[in-house]
Amino acid sequence: MKAPSVTRRQGLLIGGILFGLITLGLLIDGGGQLIGDVAGVFSVSYLASAIRLTVPIAFAAMGGIFAEKTGVINIGLEGLLIIGAFGAVASLYALSATPIGANIWLAFVLAIVASTIVALLFAIVCIEFKADQIIAGLAVWLIALGFAPFASIIIWRRTSSPSVGTFSTISIPGLSALPSIGPLFEATPPVFLLALAVPFSWYLLNRTTFGMWIEASGEDPKSLDTAGVDVRKVRYAGVLLSGVYCGIGGAGLALNTGQFVGSGDTMIDGRGWIGLTAYLIGNYNPVGAFLASFLFAGLEALQLQLQQIAGYDVSSTLVGIIPYVAVLIVLTFVGRTRMPSAAGEHYDSDE
Amino acid sequence: MSDDDSGEGLRAQGLAALDRLVDATAAERIAISLASLGFAIIVGTVLVFVSGFVAECRDPFIYLPGLGFGCYNPLEVYWTMFIGSFGSMTDIGQTLLQTTLLLFTGLSVAVAFRAGLFNIGTQGQMVLGALATALVVLELAAYVPDNAAGMLIVIPVGVVVGGIVGGFWGMIPGLMKAYANAHEVITTIMLNFVAIGIAFWLVQVHVGDLTTDSVQTESVPAVARLPATISGSRFSVIALIGALLVAVGIYLLYKRTVIGYDLRTSGIQESAAEYGGVNAKRNIVTSMTLSGVLGGIAGAIYVMMVQYRWQAGIPPLGFDGIAVSILAGNNPIGVIPAALLFGSLKTGSVAVDLSLGVPGELVEVLRGLIILFIAMPEFFRMIGKRFGYGNGSVVTDGGEA
Repeated sequence: MKAPSVTRRQGLLIGGILFGLITLGLLIDGGGQLIGDVAGVFSVSYLASAIRLTVPIAFAAMGGIFAEKTGVINIGLEGLLIIGAFGAVASLYALSATPIGANIWLAFVLAIVASTIVALLFAIVCIEFKADQIIAGLAVWLIALGFAPFASIIIWRRTSSPSVGTFSTISIPGLSALPSIGPLFEATPPVFLLALAVPFSWYLLNRTTFGMWIEASGEDPKSLDTAGVDVRKVRYAGVLLSGVYCGIGGAGLALNTGQFVGSGDTMIDGRGWIGLTAYLIGNYNPVGAFLASFLFAGLEALQLQLQQIAGYDVSSTLVGIIPYVAVLIVLTFVGRTRMPSAAGEHYDSDE
Repeated sequence: MSDDDSGEGLRAQGLAALDRLVDATAAERIAISLASLGFAIIVGTVLVFVSGFVAECRDPFIYLPGLGFGCYNPLEVYWTMFIGSFGSMTDIGQTLLQTTLLLFTGLSVAVAFRAGLFNIGTQGQMVLGALATALVVLELAAYVPDNAAGMLIVIPVGVVVGGIVGGFWGMIPGLMKAYANAHEVITTIMLNFVAIGIAFWLVQVHVGDLTTDSVQTESVPAVARLPATISGSRFSVIALIGALLVAVGIYLLYKRTVIGYDLRTSGIQESAAEYGGVNAKRNIVTSMTLSGVLGGIAGAIYVMMVQYRWQAGIPPLGFDGIAVSILAGNNPIGVIPAALLFGSLKTGSVAVDLSLGVPGELVEVLRGLIILFIAMPEFFRMIGKRFGYGNGSVVTDGGEA
């Protein structure tokens, strides 16, 4: 295992982001003064909001890693996030009419179940029916993109739901009372789940037998098969994990907002695709994917904050395309991200 | 007795059809496309039926004990969809208008697919092409006479500009694929977001109609509008004829010319093409550029025939184009019926929404389902094999009733 260090890829990425920020500074009036104000924005509350925005992106990214490492490219992450977000709000809305009441945790679990079921269907289509993974993943996205607003109109008569309630913040006793960094330890449950999921995913991939199977399933399924492990089962596990992670990410976003918005690209608004860029930039490492997600979410938060305090006319549209430009630069100039060698291929064991 | 006989005849025909579905390669694609369409419609039917029990309405169509009232009759939904797309001249005009646009976006995706490249970026190419066309014709209209002669100048220029800008945007992922080995699926998806973001920002802040709050350009003058053929619709038969000619042209390009052959092999077997003395890298760029040109032209036609301006929120015709192309087996001639089908679905969904209250997003779900089913030909082969047809299993009791 290599010690973490700044690789050429990461150095280039950071350079690219800085370049993007400077360009942004020049695009708006008073670019010079902006730099000073940006420095003023970096507060604890800014970090807290950036981490909150990281939740859906990072969960999608880590889910994508698990699927692709086993050899199934899941470009339907965006669709799974949409299912997670819609599932959470619809469940909470439906539960409030039952004797159980509006139990937010139950809604959260139901959303994860919904996203995982869709991931299971995707896995069956790819593994049993040997579908083209790219086209099937695209279909998952397009179906979710059509289904969520369709179902919203059926249930609420419009593409967006009413407010259904949000996760309340939890504070970690002791830590949240710390001076200055205390607010970081007061957050909603999905944020804490993310804090747990990143090291957990890294450990699972790099330190366990299951992680070795995942690696082998994507790199060299033949020898995994020879070693007596069912490649199909490992691939199912990888895709289902991506469903669970996207369920958490989508539901986390929706239950932090308290509403499902289904107009346009829905409230997910490309976060699944940004998640995909994040794990490509992080080169299939959960920690790297998290950092890239955090960087992109940080840009989003920065733009939101600048609009509030400084009254700058920062184009949210231009800030929004920075992640996409960043991944294009990385893919083109830093070189090909090393995909698992058997990703996208079907595996037939010779029985 | 005679009933039984004709039943036997039908069954034999059915057997033959299934055998072809499982074995034949030539008819296979058409059969799979039709079967996928059928399965997507079945799933759509279930979705409509079930959601009818969730929705609220004044006069339900069915009551099931324990479930309550169902609002939507799937048969009525599909019938309304059909009438809504072909029921009157205006409806036919709207259907053909959508068909024309879908022909261009479908061909855009098909051209790339033929070369083994998956262009998901048609949407972005179309959005930028549309903006370029809108801006250029707005400028140009001031210098030409406001009559048919002016139209003969402005409209071709608009199409060319849209094609050039779309082609440029399609060339980028082509270059990235050929020279940096960046996967075109990823790059084209990312470039969609970049294109839509840039266009939105340009129109909102710089080149748009700044007198309104909505993000749009000024309306293009009459000289830049394709003449409507059917009253009540903006459909212009000129655009449709142009699209059909392009479809035939592309078919001939791939079928009859060396260039077409080289384009195909370069994407599918890069090393083999290089060995044969073909510059495969350049051909990959050419294929993606050509694909982008067609996407850009779709945008130009959208501005000059449908919206008469660039406006934020251009419909996802580029993604529809993926479904059209896949349904057509990426065959330029097959794109024609596939575009007509999706054109009528899109037009019919408006009627379904208005008169039955079933959300028009139903068509987007159907679009995704069709893509999903076509992506898994193995599914249909397995169904065929399970029932004992095809060479995959021994037919022991094929004749038993």
